[in-house]
Amino acid sequence: MPRSSDLDRVTMIVLRFMRGPIVLLISVYAIGITGMAVIPGPEVDGEPTHMSFFHAFYFMTYTATTTGFGELPIEFSEAQRMWAIACLYLSVVAWFYSIGTIVRLVQNPYFRQALAQYTFAISVARIAEPFVLICGFGDTGSLLARGLSDRLIKAVVIDTDPERIKALGLRDYWVKMPGLCGDASVPKQLLDAGLNSRRCTGVVALTRQDEKNLDIAVMVRAMNPSVPIICRCTSRRFDEEFKALSNVAVLDPFETFSEQLTTALQSPALHTLDEWFLGVPGVTLDRTLGYPVGNWVVCGHGRMGQWLFESLRSRSVPVVAVDPRIPEDMERSGLGVRGDANRETLLQAGVREAVGIIAATNNDSVNLRTVMNARSLNPEVFVVVRQNRHENAVAFSMLNANLIMEPSLVTAQRALLRLVAPPIGTLFERLEDCEGATVQELFTRLKTTVRETNPTLWLARLTRDLAPALARANELEQRITLGDLTRDPSNRNRCLPCVPLVAERGGNRTVLPGADFELREGDALLLCGTRSSRYLLDATLGSWYTLNYLVSSVEPPRGYFMRWVERARARK
Amino acid sequence: MNLEKVVFGFFILLALTLNVAFVDGEIDNPSHHNVWLLFVTIIVNFIATGLKLGDRSQIGALLLAAALVADLQLIVAASIWTIAEHGSESGITPDVIAVIVSVSRGALVANIISVIMVVADTLMLRR
Repeated sequence: MPRSSDLDRVTMIVLRFMRGPIVLLISVYAIGITGMAVIPGPEVDGEPTHMSFFHAFYFMTYTATTTGFGELPIEFSEAQRMWAIACLYLSVVAWFYSIGTIVRLVQNPYFRQALAQYTFAISVARIAEPFVLICGFGDTGSLLARGLSDRLIKAVVIDTDPERIKALGLRDYWVKMPGLCGDASVPKQLLDAGLNSRRCTGVVALTRQDEKNLDIAVMVRAMNPSVPIICRCTSRRFDEEFKALSNVAVLDPFETFSEQLTTALQSPALHTLDEWFLGVPGVTLDRTLGYPVGNWVVCGHGRMGQWLFESLRSRSVPVVAVDPRIPEDMERSGLGVRGDANRETLLQAGVREAVGIIAATNNDSVNLRTVMNARSLNPEVFVVVRQNRHENAVAFSMLNANLIMEPSLVTAQRALLRLVAPPIGTLFERLEDCEGATVQELFTRLKTTVRETNPTLWLARLTRDLAPALARANELEQRITLGDLTRDPSNRNRCLPCVPLVAERGGNRTVLPGADFELREGDALLLCGTRSSRYLLDATLGSWYTLNYLVSSVEPPRGYFMRWVERARARK
Repeated sequence: MNLEKVVFGFFILLALTLNVAFVDGEIDNPSHHNVWLLFVTIIVNFIATGLKLGDRSQIGALLLAAALVADLQLIVAASIWTIAEHGSESGITPDVIAVIVSVSRGALVANIISVIMVVADTLMLRR
């Protein structure tokens, strides 16, 4: 339905523009042909000849296009020649006019937009694989698209800025990512972007304004009740509105980062695990974090500053905030210092005794200055700095800070993790409640089996299409356990280098399922392992013979004849 | 060792070797191509096809397809032989034997591909 209406718009604009030229061309041809047919030709045997309509049309065809084959089929009379001159000039003018109209049509912004929309809708409809719909292609959107492309997942992009869509077309992604310039909260654009397609696996709203993201989430939920939505929102104003929508994950980069930081301070192992899953460069499971224990200074009390301040305080880390907007009661109780972060206020906040400083304002230059000031007062201080703009990356890397926090990167990483491994959140929730021993055990297991700095995290959906071997085993009432499935097909006494993290059945999630976990068709498994282990596991799920060998160490006969022989031998 | 692999490998290889034995020699010389060899080749090819029936794996489907191609070409070769021998006055002329051998060579290609697939499949298992 939406596609045909786009086509209608394109056709309508073309017809409206071409109406004049087409009428003019038809008239010129009609006049020319009639004239040639009526005007008497040269005399043959005393009788004047007349051109037939077919010959007149033939003559006009090559004359109007200025091809000019000459006087065909017989030489013209003088009267015909005079008419031929008139025809030629009239038709050339008509043609120029038509061509000029076509050029104007191609330059018409409405026509271009209609055409772009039409081609976009077609290229989205042609995507055969599961894809993600990204609304907003700023820093976060492009980082997310890059991450998806590295995992060979397709995405469809909508952004209001034509420059960003042009930039999208120039990226060297591994997969095709169609982009449309338009407003993502308009239902028509969302439909064209494949919102109601079966293959749309998620919608990510990453525009700069929280209101816009909320609008997009509402529109998407109204039109598609089941698709998961991930929404960027940096203020708590809309919490209630988001709660009313089902299956929406709200990502607040500031909240996420302050969670990350406090986790890092309290349970460094979980933080390392988190960063290792995210594929942060250089992170290995052997990393020991040197997060210091003691007083912290947070410069900036805006959205991020407040989050950090609160989450540090809630875990009873002593912290002092520095900002011109500090409320009076905070200043009185000694929790805040009012004023810009300069040497004086930093000294007041006790930077000399502090173990760490966080520069968290929304101005990169202020943050850089704060860090330099703090370093000059206390060279040993642990530095966490917020980088607001992706283009300032070089300046921040020269700073040699202990931790750089880039809101767009944090959001993109979280969104990506949610898209490729939805149950990962459950794993972390459970690990936080667990004893240190469970975490340590998982660490050892991951270290000995996966042994990579950049692990592959994937969700294996055990559906009939994707895991026909398991479906067949279920039909034959064979018992398939997780331990059997993850055996190595080239040596069944070994295990594939992958660790099952979460098993999902219906709405229930089992964290760190054991080797005796029985698998059934329709389950989903979140695994972490090497790239090759993923391929081998997929191959096992695709071939019942391999699966059977892994379970029983017996290679069953494949052909009818050998199966009959087997049965006959068994009977004896 | 797997009994099915032994039986299977034996017939597939035998089909290939017999096929080579039949097509070897000058293409248009009837005395170089024995009708008994053609007969045995066809029988062994049929058996090999029968053994492939029932395999649900991808490679099994491809093997069955290759076997059916070989069967088809060998049957065509045998039909031409029969028609030339019994249905025409001239008997097996050099022209006729050339066609028969050409078609059988097509079957040979299908048999070679079958063997390659079986060997590759076995090597990939590494067990």
